[in-house]
Amino acid sequence: MVTRRDVGKIGVAAGLAGSTSLAARQAAAADAAQTAVDAAKQYSGQTISIVWEAGLQALDPLNFSGPKWKELTGIDVKVVEVSTAEMFTKIMQDYKSGAGAYDALNVIPSWMPDLVNAGALEDLDPFVDKYGYREELQKIAATYRDNQMMVNGKIYGFPDDGDVFVMYFRKDIFTDPAVQAAFKEKTGKDLAVPTTWAEFDATGPVLTELLKDKGTYGAGFFRQPPYTMFMFQERFRNEGGKFFDADSMKATINSDVGVKVLTDMRAENAWMPPGVEQWGFVENLAAFLQGQTAMTISWPPYGRWAAGYGTDQEVLSWVPKSTIAGKVGYAMPPGGHPELAAGFCLSVASTSKNKDAAYLFIQWLNSESTSLQRVQLPYALRDPFRDSHFTSAEYLAKWPDAKDYLAALQAGATNGLLDLSVLQTDKYEETLRQMISKLWAGDDPKAIADAAAAEWDAITDKIGVDKQKAVYGAWASKSGAYPKM
Amino acid sequence: MPTIAAHRQPDRNFRYWIIAPAIFLLLAVGLFPLIYSLIVSFMRIDMMDTDTSFAGLYNYKQLFKDLRLWQSLLHTLVITAIALPLELLFGLAMAYLFLEKMPWRQIFVSLLVLPTIISPIVAGATWRLLLDNQYGPINQILGWFAGHRVNLLWTINPFLVYPAIIFCEIWQWTPFMFLILLAALSNVDKSQTEAAEIDGASFIRTFRYIVLPAIWPVMAIAILIRGLDLFRIFDIIWALTMGGPGTMTETISIYTYTMGFKQFETSYTAAIAFLVIAILTVVVTWAIRRMGLAK
Repeated sequence: MVTRRDVGKIGVAAGLAGSTSLAARQAAAADAAQTAVDAAKQYSGQTISIVWEAGLQALDPLNFSGPKWKELTGIDVKVVEVSTAEMFTKIMQDYKSGAGAYDALNVIPSWMPDLVNAGALEDLDPFVDKYGYREELQKIAATYRDNQMMVNGKIYGFPDDGDVFVMYFRKDIFTDPAVQAAFKEKTGKDLAVPTTWAEFDATGPVLTELLKDKGTYGAGFFRQPPYTMFMFQERFRNEGGKFFDADSMKATINSDVGVKVLTDMRAENAWMPPGVEQWGFVENLAAFLQGQTAMTISWPPYGRWAAGYGTDQEVLSWVPKSTIAGKVGYAMPPGGHPELAAGFCLSVASTSKNKDAAYLFIQWLNSESTSLQRVQLPYALRDPFRDSHFTSAEYLAKWPDAKDYLAALQAGATNGLLDLSVLQTDKYEETLRQMISKLWAGDDPKAIADAAAAEWDAITDKIGVDKQKAVYGAWASKSGAYPKM
Repeated sequence: MPTIAAHRQPDRNFRYWIIAPAIFLLLAVGLFPLIYSLIVSFMRIDMMDTDTSFAGLYNYKQLFKDLRLWQSLLHTLVITAIALPLELLFGLAMAYLFLEKMPWRQIFVSLLVLPTIISPIVAGATWRLLLDNQYGPINQILGWFAGHRVNLLWTINPFLVYPAIIFCEIWQWTPFMFLILLAALSNVDKSQTEAAEIDGASFIRTFRYIVLPAIWPVMAIAILIRGLDLFRIFDIIWALTMGGPGTMTETISIYTYTMGFKQFETSYTAAIAFLVIAILTVVVTWAIRRMGLAK
């Protein structure tokens, strides 16, 4: 792991060696966005392509950053929209074929070891020095900067999306004296936002019992396997679980903790809204915004949309009208260490024929000034990821509770847990998705956890235990891999 | 004579030269991918590793150890064995219904055929919405009959997921059977069926001894086409369940796609493809002989 101090040392050493040109040193002192624009003007008239997640995410380069970059530099940006599920495949296919169809990439951080191992990503260190970006890179929130930027000590992507799970709760319900009294009467305890999963399992069913007649359940979560896979990773580690035995590399997801988490998750469905097992991002969002659930956990856009921010935009017309604006509180999910679920880094494809132009575009996108505008786009899905985003006066003024919202995101960025990232991560994640799917179908939690662990072991054996052990060791040593107990 | 033969020889070669480009193109387009896939299946290619060495029969040996592969084959056979006869029966019944002249017959037939022209992935996605517990109308309609809210998780509950898939499949492809069988029935010699009726033969005996032999060649082709389609079923299941819950509805096509494009096991996927080709070749050859289509 390269720390802030290490990066500083590298910068100093480079300066002393005289390897950094005068222009680059001048650039380092300037605004990184302006530096990128000035340098990119020499590529005016060229076109660069960038792979971006399809849907709302892509509206950022399509409606805002792409046209603005064209206006500033004369470089056209071709946005290649790809669904999340296909992004890794498309990037690898382009790399393996040597087509060079993509110049810049959006990459989920947990994919980076695989993409770097394959040779698909360009080492960005030389560009960072050349265009004086190190100083501004340091201002990215520590969790993202220290954990999602480098592989084997080299920079391969700029963390560009502060994806983190936040617990959203109904302040009006938790502060309602009648509900508080009824809760106290039933449990003998004061009603409070749960900070552990045990508290959550004690609070949720009682709220359902008290509020169901009014159409509100204690909680609702997205339960479709691709989402729940992240929630399992988070909860499993918050409860003390480890993915592997660090010595033998045998999977330990079938430990007592793993089985308990699966058992508890399924038991919770009984007091959540009927059919919650089918819920994805939208169903869960709709239920929360319509006041059907008192607590939920999700990515940051929920908080903005629940407050009504940006939902008047035409592209967000599908988002149900929030009936709970001003009534939403923000907290860490039980356990206190939220999943930094997915997220995106900006990278340059190693097969790009326009590497400098592609790099300058991502430096400009990721720079302090441009990124602040991008994370405030009401329709896009980029979430705050720089220290300055959390304290931006402009952002804090967006809605009355924005300060609480940004404080929760900042706390998440401080305590967050990284997605598991090893060689061939998606195979391990696919096993987890299958495990969740079988859980909802009613299979025995112990049996499915054992089967998943056996599949993980088979994947590890095929990759090579020693090879995977080294990669897992590097990942596990990162600050966000496991909570400090 | 020798002079004439000397003149004819170049002519004969010229004929071959003219068709050579077409043959080369056909081989390049048709045979090369097949041969290339066969070669790949004996190698160690996956998109995550740089080792692409010769693996011999390794991938083929792995097929026999791969429980998930054989389960996916079983799921495919179950869906085929249930959906195919039902599509045939319903298609035949509908064809009989529309055999006689009736008002707006053409309009009804056109409407009935509509599901067939929809892309299967769109049909699957549509049915996923219809079957959704929260927003889908199906549970809502069932709730009206039941008198209370119905929470049937069609794509998750192990007891409901196969009926849901098979229903969607039948909904989309029965009209195909219907259309073909309607054409076949329209060509049955009416004088023979009328004679049988006058002689007092029952509907079943008439169908068995007069209609079925007449429509059998067309019916057999329809069964063969639909059987092969069902064996390759992908889109509807992908849109409805993605092979879940777990791998419970994973068919051979879904498994092949998963191995090839999710797990990037290129060589192993090629081996699976050749296993499927081998199975289908045996089944189709047997079916063609059995159905008498090769006569």
